[in-house]
Amino acid sequence: MKVHYYPGCTLKEKAVNLEETTVKAMKILGVDLKEPEGWTCCGAEFPLSEEKISGLAAPARILRQVESEGGDKVTTTCAFCYNVLKRTNYALLNDPLKHKRINAFLKDDIKIDHETKDKSTGFDPYHGDVSVVHLLEFLRDEVGFSKIKAKIKRDLSGLKVAAYYGCRLLRPYSEVLMDKPDDPSIFEEFVESLGAQVVDFPFRQECCGSYISVSEPDVAAEASYRILRSAILGGADIMVLSCPLCYYNLDRRQGLIKDKFLEFSGFPVLYFTQLLAWALGEKISTLGFNDHYFNPRTVLEKVVKSEVAQ
Amino acid sequence: MFEPKIMSFICKWCTYAGADLAGTSRMEYVHNPINVRVMCSSRIDPQHIFYAFKHGADGVFIGGCHPGDCHYVEGNYKTLRRVFLVKKMMRDMGIDPARLRLEWISAAEGSKFVEVMNEFTEQIKNLGPLNFREMASIDEGVSHE
Amino acid sequence: MSGNGPKKKIGVFVCHCGINIAGVVDVEKVAKELSKYDGVDFSVDYVYMCSEPGQKLIEETIKERKLDSVIVAACSPTLHERTFQNVMTRAGLNPYQVEIANIREQDSWVHPDRHEATVKAARIVKSMIEKVRRNQNLEPLAVDITRRALVIGGGISGIQAALDIADHGYEVLLVEKEASIGGHMVQLSETFPTLDCSQCILTPKMVEASRHPKIKILTYHEIESISGFVGNFKVKIKKRPRFVDPDVCTLCGECEKVCPQVVADEFNMGLSFRKAIYMPFPQAIPGTYTLDIESCLGLLPIRCGKCREVCEPNAINYDDQEEIFEEEVGAVVVATGYDLYGLDNLGEFGGEKYEDVINGLEFERILSASGPTGGQVRRPSDGKVPKNIVFVQCCGSRDPENHNPYCSKICCMYTAKHAMLYKHRVPDGNATVFYIDVRTGGKNFDEFFQRTIEEEHVLYVRGKVSKIFKEGDKLIVWGVDTLTGRKVEMEADMVVLAMSMVPSENAEELLKKLKISTDANGFLSEAHPKLRPVESLNAGFFLAGCAHGPKDIPETVAQASAAAAKVGDLFAQEKLYHEPTVVSAEEELCAGCGICVPVCPYGARTLNRERGVVEVNEILCEGCGACAAACPSGAAQQRNQTDEQIFSMVKAILKG
Repeated sequence: MKVHYYPGCTLKEKAVNLEETTVKAMKILGVDLKEPEGWTCCGAEFPLSEEKISGLAAPARILRQVESEGGDKVTTTCAFCYNVLKRTNYALLNDPLKHKRINAFLKDDIKIDHETKDKSTGFDPYHGDVSVVHLLEFLRDEVGFSKIKAKIKRDLSGLKVAAYYGCRLLRPYSEVLMDKPDDPSIFEEFVESLGAQVVDFPFRQECCGSYISVSEPDVAAEASYRILRSAILGGADIMVLSCPLCYYNLDRRQGLIKDKFLEFSGFPVLYFTQLLAWALGEKISTLGFNDHYFNPRTVLEKVVKSEVAQ
Repeated sequence: MFEPKIMSFICKWCTYAGADLAGTSRMEYVHNPINVRVMCSSRIDPQHIFYAFKHGADGVFIGGCHPGDCHYVEGNYKTLRRVFLVKKMMRDMGIDPARLRLEWISAAEGSKFVEVMNEFTEQIKNLGPLNFREMASIDEGVSHE
Repeated sequence: MSGNGPKKKIGVFVCHCGINIAGVVDVEKVAKELSKYDGVDFSVDYVYMCSEPGQKLIEETIKERKLDSVIVAACSPTLHERTFQNVMTRAGLNPYQVEIANIREQDSWVHPDRHEATVKAARIVKSMIEKVRRNQNLEPLAVDITRRALVIGGGISGIQAALDIADHGYEVLLVEKEASIGGHMVQLSETFPTLDCSQCILTPKMVEASRHPKIKILTYHEIESISGFVGNFKVKIKKRPRFVDPDVCTLCGECEKVCPQVVADEFNMGLSFRKAIYMPFPQAIPGTYTLDIESCLGLLPIRCGKCREVCEPNAINYDDQEEIFEEEVGAVVVATGYDLYGLDNLGEFGGEKYEDVINGLEFERILSASGPTGGQVRRPSDGKVPKNIVFVQCCGSRDPENHNPYCSKICCMYTAKHAMLYKHRVPDGNATVFYIDVRTGGKNFDEFFQRTIEEEHVLYVRGKVSKIFKEGDKLIVWGVDTLTGRKVEMEADMVVLAMSMVPSENAEELLKKLKISTDANGFLSEAHPKLRPVESLNAGFFLAGCAHGPKDIPETVAQASAAAAKVGDLFAQEKLYHEPTVVSAEEELCAGCGICVPVCPYGARTLNRERGVVEVNEILCEGCGACAAACPSGAAQQRNQTDEQIFSMVKAILKG
């Protein structure tokens, strides 16, 4: 199985553990990931601002590149990239002004176009047709959760997991459409396909603080603390998520959180692909746990006894 | 002085009652429009409209109930769609579509009836006579129905 | 002569109406001009046509000159058309042979210039002459009426309507899908604003209905289809097998004791259990057990059979079959009631996840003395008495973007009632209500609500709730207080959601089958929102209760009685008379294209595919003429307003 895969810049720098475990896991599942050539940063927050339409040019170009490489679908693991790419498509499909302006930019962007297209065939506008799927959706719909279940090598039945969506995966509902925003289930279904248990985790869609972590770290720390506390109260052993920024706020900032909230003593937070790769048999030392503030290794090894499942 | 001939088709339940109200209230308006009462504006066929133009009308008026108020549920919506089509046809024929006017006038809107009649007549006066037969080069001798 | 065509002898009578017309229009001149018009045999002006001598003048002239048709040029037809039609009848002519030319309201009263008004008057009269020239003699269509009513739905609205119609002396079939009549009202504990015990006021009506000689109650029955038209409906009714004979069952309850199957009790909103063989509630009517085949272990083959073994009177019959039979009725009252919007629609409130987040009907069962907790307020999860209870109004209502746009009307009152009753039973408890508005328009409603605040000290917080979740043992409610502009986070032991009222789920299928018009929300559409609130536009169908829209019990009862009165109106007539100015379908011209069929809002036209022509049910045709305008071949013509007539009127007006 082949699919276009957009990692986004963070995965190549700060979130290397997310990227590497994604690639490893997909290899085991028999999925060939192809990065679109010459891809750039998606823009993160800025393409979605209403004042500057030009911000949409970068994500539109990425999608255009996928299309020109013959892909009709692109998958991504970073929640921010997912949100931006998805909403770029929506903007182009629904707003004629944006469609016109962005395609005017794409037309001028000759460097990529003319490498793959004959000058004589002319410019083909990008309409927003490349389907953007989060890796969770890809795993559910293309690979199949049952297929994953069949390839699980470790017995995770004793592991209680809090699945954290954050905001980018689900909102705004009309544009993102991944799952019901008031009561989603895709992430929980994924966790269950690994053989692990899901806990009731009411803060699973609350914001971690996002970028405010830069200017007002205390605010972000409190927001993140409430999420961690909810997972702990739910009885979770670990939390899984899909966004490097959430990961930063929920794991890397645990030092600050501990200072502010004395009853908090740390909690393992990992990317869902790290858990996936491990469940599929990858060695625990290869999952990039050393990068974490709170190394999940001890908790995982304590709860899940066997190295290789039956 | 050109006095336009205005053919007016108005529905019994709303516009006709509105026209009556204008009378009871002794409001004055131009004498040009003459009314034919129909049960519902949806009785009006494009045929009737073109027949009127053909036989000397410089303007045609259709009056019906406000959307949602039609005595026969949705007749006025049908009228709306038909008028839209007829205007397209008029354009193709070279007749100014402004010569056909559709207006929603309720039984309580006597003054609106007066306003519309005056306005429409004035508008047609400014557009001038239609001279349909000349335009369409219809031979007076041939009878049509 | 009653025929068509230009050979008719027409009489023209131009009224002065005192100076109303004659003061502006030269009536003499008009009469003279018209006497020379084609087909006019007699033309005269007279001072007051509607007066006795005026009418006599017409009558005598008709007889003397053997006129076929008459034009009266006078005031608006809305005033005296009937008057002059009666003159025609007295003179021995068909009433449709007179037409009124409006030269007052639409001429003399609005055009001051004598010349202009006179010219216009002549043209108006000429147009009416052209119309009447081609008028056919028409007789109103008469149909017989079956004086029997069908009431669909056995809740308070259906019961009330049935009682009123039966008291008129007509037979009523009351069809109810469930095992007993009573609807949702019988589930309520106390009703606002009096705090009357709901079952105490309802059961006497239920008993009255069951004993009434004119009412036939058919519970566990469903409507399959209704065909026909007003006064003459044919109804197919399906009897679901009950497996227990209601006439024999003694309610001893032995069967229930031995039944091994236990399922959630719908009457108690799932808060308790019942057996597969059950009685919905003690005062059920009919008073009998019912075997719910869905939860029974099975009868084909018999997997258990214990209930039949212990039934002494032999009321249980495993061979009971489904039956479909037909009945004839003349009117149908649709009283299918409501359901509550599902808790799963508001995932953020955790209604499906958390046992202690419940809806209003569940709370009613908890409050009810005959409910699962014997009337004590206890949490469904652990049976503890909740010390902090939160009520949330407008759950799913007044939310056009995500849920239902309308207001469910009763929630403000029943939430106040719930809060009040809670405080009565848990005096040291705290009750908080999150609201947007508090709507208490009915009689004594606001006084009731004020007591809730002043006497019971229930806290009302103006703001919506965004999320409800559980933390340990407690529920956390996140909301906002818009009056202080602050977010609110509250702990609660129990939360009651005032879920939006929606039309009964069972009824959706049924209403589609009946082709009765509903609005965008699925509620029944009334014929006119202000002036005809209990009739449907589908003739012969009447509406009552929450099937028509959210309403409380006093309004429901009022509407049910009103619907019954309308049924009485219908049945009181000897025959149904219908205006004959309908649109026909000339078979020779009809190509069977079928375009006219969907154009009719009344379903009066059907395409007979075998014969390749359209057939018209003239009783259903209201004579709007929309189909006549749509017909490409001219086969559809409106009686006495044919295309030919319209053309000739237009010509007369424009050519003069």
